[in-house]
Amino acid sequence: MARRPILGLFQDANYAAEAGDALKRAGVDQGDFDFLTDAPYPEGAFGERHERHRLYVFPFLGALVGLTVGIMLTSMTQMAYPLVQGGKPILSLPPMAVITYESTMLSAIIFTIIGIMFESRLPKLKKGLYDTRITEGYIGVLVNTEEEKLSEVSAILSQAGAVDVVRENQDTARA
Amino acid sequence: MAANQAHNAGMWVFPRAEEVSGDMAAKSRAMPRPMVAAITVSAILLVLGIIGFVARAVDDGFTDHAPWGYYAAIFSFLLMVTGAAPLVALVFRFTKSHWRRPLSRVSELFALVGILNLLMFIPLMFVLPAINNPGAGEEAMELRRTIWFEVPIGAPHWWDALGVGFLAVLGLAILWLASVPDLAEARLTSGGMRRKFYSLMAGHWFGTKRQWEMQKAGLAVLGAFYFMFLIWVHFIISTDYGQSLIPGWKDSIFPVLYSLTGLQASLGLILIIMFIMRRWGGYQEYIGISLFWSASKILLGLSMLWVYHVFSFMITYWYGRLEVEQDILKYLFTQSYGGMFAANFFFSFVMPFFLLLWNPVRKTAWGPALAGVAVLIGALLFNLRIFVGAFNAGDVYQHALNGVPPAVWPDIWDIFMVVGGLGAAALIYLTGTRIFPLISVWEIKEGAMYQRMGTFIRGEYLILAKPE
Amino acid sequence: MQEGTVLPAQQVNRDLLRSILDPPGWFWPVVALLGLIVLVAFGAAGYMINRGLGVTGMNRPVMWAFFLTNFVFWIGISHAGVMLSAILRLSKAEWRRPATRAAEVLTVFSLMTAVLMPLIHTGRPWRTIYWIYTAPFVPYDFARGIWPNVRSPLVWDPSAIFTYLTSSVLFVMVALLPDMAVLRDRTTGIPHRIYGMLAMGWEGNSRQWKFQIIAGILLSALILPVFVSVHSIVSWDFSMTVSVKSWHSTIFAPYFVIGAVHSGVSAVAFVLILLRQVYGWQNYIRHEHIDGLARLLMFVATAWFYFFFMEVIFGFYGREADEIALRSFQFTESPWNIWMMIFVGSTYFLPMAIWLVRPARRNLWIMSIACISVNIGMWLERFLIIIPGLARKQMFTFDWGTFRPSPVEIIIIFATFALVTMLMLLFSRVLPLIPLYDIKEGDILKTEIQIGRRTVPATFRED
Repeated sequence: MARRPILGLFQDANYAAEAGDALKRAGVDQGDFDFLTDAPYPEGAFGERHERHRLYVFPFLGALVGLTVGIMLTSMTQMAYPLVQGGKPILSLPPMAVITYESTMLSAIIFTIIGIMFESRLPKLKKGLYDTRITEGYIGVLVNTEEEKLSEVSAILSQAGAVDVVRENQDTARA
Repeated sequence: MAANQAHNAGMWVFPRAEEVSGDMAAKSRAMPRPMVAAITVSAILLVLGIIGFVARAVDDGFTDHAPWGYYAAIFSFLLMVTGAAPLVALVFRFTKSHWRRPLSRVSELFALVGILNLLMFIPLMFVLPAINNPGAGEEAMELRRTIWFEVPIGAPHWWDALGVGFLAVLGLAILWLASVPDLAEARLTSGGMRRKFYSLMAGHWFGTKRQWEMQKAGLAVLGAFYFMFLIWVHFIISTDYGQSLIPGWKDSIFPVLYSLTGLQASLGLILIIMFIMRRWGGYQEYIGISLFWSASKILLGLSMLWVYHVFSFMITYWYGRLEVEQDILKYLFTQSYGGMFAANFFFSFVMPFFLLLWNPVRKTAWGPALAGVAVLIGALLFNLRIFVGAFNAGDVYQHALNGVPPAVWPDIWDIFMVVGGLGAAALIYLTGTRIFPLISVWEIKEGAMYQRMGTFIRGEYLILAKPE
Repeated sequence: MQEGTVLPAQQVNRDLLRSILDPPGWFWPVVALLGLIVLVAFGAAGYMINRGLGVTGMNRPVMWAFFLTNFVFWIGISHAGVMLSAILRLSKAEWRRPATRAAEVLTVFSLMTAVLMPLIHTGRPWRTIYWIYTAPFVPYDFARGIWPNVRSPLVWDPSAIFTYLTSSVLFVMVALLPDMAVLRDRTTGIPHRIYGMLAMGWEGNSRQWKFQIIAGILLSALILPVFVSVHSIVSWDFSMTVSVKSWHSTIFAPYFVIGAVHSGVSAVAFVLILLRQVYGWQNYIRHEHIDGLARLLMFVATAWFYFFFMEVIFGFYGREADEIALRSFQFTESPWNIWMMIFVGSTYFLPMAIWLVRPARRNLWIMSIACISVNIGMWLERFLIIIPGLARKQMFTFDWGTFRPSPVEIIIIFATFALVTMLMLLFSRVLPLIPLYDIKEGDILKTEIQIGRRTVPATFRED
C-alpha cells in the first residue's frame, strides 16, 4: 500500500506535542511521525521516540586506523633512511609519538564526521515533504501514513492546533 | 517522560532544606563503629610514624639529607594533596558550579592538615644542604642551583617554612569563613563543650544580609590568594626539595607538573571520600551522580594534562641529548626509578584515562572514585620517585649528575614514616569531621533555591538558575 | 548572567542573516581596500622571490625573523577559536552561544594565514612541493639522496597544522548545516541551489538535531587535544635545540599554548565587539558576553604570567654564563629592554588593570583597547623569543648579529591582518557568523525561578 507524507505546521510547541499524543492514540506508529524544528529541543520534549545509534564506535575505529597508519608511516620512514642524526637511534620513539598522535586524532575526527553524517542520514538525496516556515520557528509534524488514512491524520493535526496542513501534491517549498 | 527519568536516575538529588540542619547535626555528633575503627587505625599508624622518625633521627641525625628522602616524599605528598584540596571547592565556587555544593566542606576540611604539614616541615629545615658550598673546589659550584639567586636572609629554609605556615593559616581562615554559618547553627543545637567551641568560632554570626555579603566577598578574595599562594608554595617546595638537589636538573616545567599532580590527586581523593560518604555514610540524599559526572570530566582533563606535561619534559630532554639530560632521564624515568615511573605513569594517566574515557563509567559513583584511587597512588609514586631520587643524587654542588645513581629502596623506618604520615593526616581529617558538618549546610540550602526539576512541553528537565 | 529578551525566530533570522541578505553599503569598498593591501603584499612577496631573501632584514645568524614571528602569532590566534568554542560547549556555558562560530571561523582563517608565513619564508615557495612530491611514494629530496632529517621537529608542524585545519574546517562545516538550511529557505535562484546542496537535505528532524548536538560535544572533546598539540609542536620547533640559548626550555609547550589562548581569546572578544558594531547585533552580542570573556581572560592572563615567570626564572636558575648573558641582553640592553617592558605591560598589566574593573569590562571601547593591547604584547613575545636568541647564537662576538625589518617584511606582516579581516568579512557575506540555531536554542530553553521577590534567570538542562 502506498504511503504518503503529510506535514502539520504548528506555531506553538505544546500543540505540536499534543498532535504527537493524538497520533499515538490514533494508532500511528512512533516511527512513522517526526518533529521538524529550527532549533534543537531537548530530547524527549515532544515525547518523541528514542533514537538509537552507534556513533561512539566511529571515533574509536578511526583512532585505531590512524594509530596504525601513524606507526607504520613513521617507523617505515625512519627505517627506510637509516642515517644517524645527533646520536639518536634509527628507530626513535619520541619523534614517532608526535606524528602518530596527530594521525590518530585526525583519523578519529574524520571517522566521527563520517559517523555523524551516517547517523544523521545525511546527505539526504531524496527530497521529502517540507515547508520553509519551519526555519521561521514553526514546528512541523511530519507523518508518513497510508494513503487512505491521510484525511484522518490531517484532521488530527488540525484538531491539535496546526495552522496549516501540507500534503505532497500541493505546491510547497521543498528541502 | 519515563524514559527521561530513567536516564537521569540518581543524577540529581534535591535535599530538603528544612531537614538538612538537623540531619547534619546528628551526623556530626554520631560516632559509628567504622569511624572509631578508622580513627584507631590512623592513630596506630601515627605512632608507627613517630617510631620511624625517632629511629631515623637517632640512626642518622640531621646532618646529611640522603636518609630523609622518604620522609621528604611523604611530606611533599601530603602538602601537595591536602594543600590543593581546598582549592577544588574554591575554584568551583568561583565558577558558580552547582554540582560542587556537596563537596565544598569535604574539600575545605583538608585545611586542618595544614598544621601537620607545617610540623612535618620543621625537620626538613635542618636537613636541606646550604646554598653556599662550604668546600667549593675547582670543579664544584660556589652556590648551588636554586631559585634563591642572591640568597636572601633565611633562604631557603625560613622562606619555605613561612610559605608552608602561611598556606596553613590561609587554609584555616577559608575553612572558618566557609563554615561560620554552619557552626553558628550547630551552636544552637549542641551543648557542653561543643556549644562553647561553636560559640567561640561563630558567636558573632546572625546571618544578616551584610554578613552574607562579607562572607561571599571574603571567600572570593581569600580564595584568589589561596590559589596564587598554593602555586607559589608548590613552586618553592618542589624546587628546593626536589629539583635543586639533583645536580644539572634544570626543568622549568617541573613546578607546573608538581602543582598539576597535586590538583589531580586532591580531586581524586575528594571523589573517593564522596563515594564512601554516599555508599556507606548515609549521604545519598546529598550527593547525586551529577557530582561524579562533572568532576570526572575535570579529572580526565587533568590526567591528560599530566601526561602532556611529562611528555613535554621528556621530549625536550631527549632531543637536547646533553650528557646530563640523558643521565637525568635514565635516573628518574628509565633506569634507576624506571619501574617506579612506569607505575606512576600507569596510575596517573593510563588507568584514569581509560576508565574515564567512557561516559557510562563517568556517570557512576564508583568509576570516578576508582580513578581517584589510581591518581592518588600515582601521586604517591611521583613523590617517592622525585624526592627519594633528589635526596640521593650525590653531591649537590656539582654542575651535573655524576653518572646515573642507583635507586634507593626504603628500610623499615622509611616505611614507618610513610605510613605514619598518611595516618597522621587521616587522623586529623577524621577528627575534623566530628567537629565540622561534612556537608556545607548553607550551600546546600542555597542550592535548593536555584535548582529544581521542571516540565518543558512533555519532558522533565533540570532547571538551573545562576545568580549574578 | 543571562540578560536579554527572547526573540522570535523570524527576527533572529532577519537580524543574523542581514550581513548576507541585506549587506551594508560599506561592505565592498572595505573589502576592496583590504584586497588592495593584500595585493600589495603579494607584490612585495613577488619582489622578494625575484630578488632573493636579501631584500628582507634576515641575515646570519638571525635567519628566523618577522615571518616566523608572524607564523607563531597567527597559529596562536587560531587557538582561540576552537579552544573557546570547545571549552564553552563542554562546560555548557550559556554565554558561549554567540561566540562559537566567529571563534571557529577565525581559527580557520588565521591558520591558513599562518601557513603562508613559512612558505614565504622559504624564499622559493614552489620548492616546498619537493617535500611531499612522490615519485612514486618517495619525497623528491629522498629520491635525490639528499637525506633530510626525518626526526626533525620541523616535520611535525605540517602534520599538526594539517590535522588542526582539517578538523576545524569539518567542525565548522558540520555546525553550519542547520544554518545552511535556513539560508536555503530564504534564498532563490543559484544561491538557493548552492545553499541547498551545502545543507545536504537538512530538514531539522529530531534525529538530525540529536546528532548535531552530539557532534558539537564529541568534536569539541576530540579537537581540544589537537589544539593543545599544535602550539606545543610549534614551540618544539624552538625548544628541541640546545644551540640557541633561551630556547631549550621544557616549559615551552604549555607556555606557548597558554599564550596562544590568551591572544586568541582576546582576538575573539575584539572580533565580537566589531561584529556587534558593524552589523548592529546588540541583541545577540551583549555586554554580558564580553564580560564573560573578560573574566575568562583574567584567569588565562594570570596563568600565562605564571608560565612566563617560570620560563624566565629557570633561564637564570641554571647559572650558566652564556644563558645569563643572553637574558641580560634581552632584559637590559636597548632596544630589547624597551620592547620587553612594552611586551609585559601590554600583555598582562594593562589588560588586567582593565579587566579587574567591572564597568571597564562592560565598556566596549575599553575592552577593545585591552584586547588589542594583549595582541600587540603577544606578537612582541614571539619576536622577543626568536630574535635575541638568534642574534647571540654564536659564542664569538664577530658572529653576533641583530635584526632590522625591511619594508618587504613590514608590508607582508601588515597585510596578513588585512587578509584575515577580509576573509572574515567575506565569510560573513555568505554565511552567518553567529549560529542561528544556537541562539534560538538558548531562547527556547530560557526560563525563570522565583525566589521571594526576585526573579532569577534560569535554563532548562538535559543533563
